[in-house]
Amino acid sequence: MTDHDRPTLHRDDELTTRLRALVAPPTDPAYWAGLETRILARVRQGRDGAAWWVLPERIYRIGLLAAGLTLIVAGSVYLRHRALETRMAYETILDSADDAPVFARRGLFDGERPDPLRAGPATTPEDRR
Amino acid sequence: MNTVALPWTVASTRPVVSDRPADERALILAAQRGDEPAFGELVRRHQRRAYVVARAIVLNHEDAEDAVQDAFLHAFRALDRFLPDQAFGAWLHRIVANAALDLTRRRKVRDADDLPETVASPFRDPAVTDELQRRLAAALASLPARQRAVITLHDVEGYKHAEIGGMLGIPEGTARSDLHYARAQLRDLLHDLRSDR
Repeated sequence: MTDHDRPTLHRDDELTTRLRALVAPPTDPAYWAGLETRILARVRQGRDGAAWWVLPERIYRIGLLAAGLTLIVAGSVYLRHRALETRMAYETILDSADDAPVFARRGLFDGERPDPLRAGPATTPEDRR
Repeated sequence: MNTVALPWTVASTRPVVSDRPADERALILAAQRGDEPAFGELVRRHQRRAYVVARAIVLNHEDAEDAVQDAFLHAFRALDRFLPDQAFGAWLHRIVANAALDLTRRRKVRDADDLPETVASPFRDPAVTDELQRRLAAALASLPARQRAVITLHDVEGYKHAEIGGMLGIPEGTARSDLHYARAQLRDLLHDLRSDR
């Protein structure tokens, strides 16, 4: 049997009486009238204080919906714009393939060029011969 | 000169709140429409029980009062989402318990070092000078807030496990085991004092 299975863990009347005295609510009616006033003042303050920045729920929902739609439209426009840019880039490359730049023509380097390997030491038997 | 009573001037145009107990549903509906006296009447009816719930969780009277005020403000703001056919008391008590637990968490963070000294007296109770009473307050403060709430709400206020579970947002079985551990803890902590008696 563990500690917590013992029958002594039933409610202790003496302890309960003490506990009741410890947490007892005030009995004076004036206290409750005062608390009511304080609660209502707090509620009024909270309501008025919040009113200038808290939007009504209906407007909040409409705003949220509008923001969502704006996001979707903006996303869609962005994606279409990117697709268009990509397509235009490809088209530019394909259209300009016929008139390639001059420096890309083979004829530019047609002259005799020194072969750097000729100046190096012979590494194979054929070269040595 | 004779005065003539005009019946239509006697009747008040204000519909809901009067001296006799009004139907709570009507009060809630009126409060939802923004009728402040109706909400005031709800406060008057429920503040005492709300205090009891809060006091079961927090460590002193002042915090209980703060929690009650916070809870009524939350309730007022959430009132348009409350269905009038629900039990207003149960709904409010859950809000109070949340407010009190929230306050306890904030206090715990802020006053982590001097918690035993913050075991304040109950409201103007002269019996607080009694040794057992002070030891009980200290022992109660050493319990986790939820266990403290469960033992107070069950043993002192007579709430059932299921009701406490609903209030604190825990399963009924958890409320049972919390009660068990809270009783065991208090018994251990106060054992020496009790054996002396």
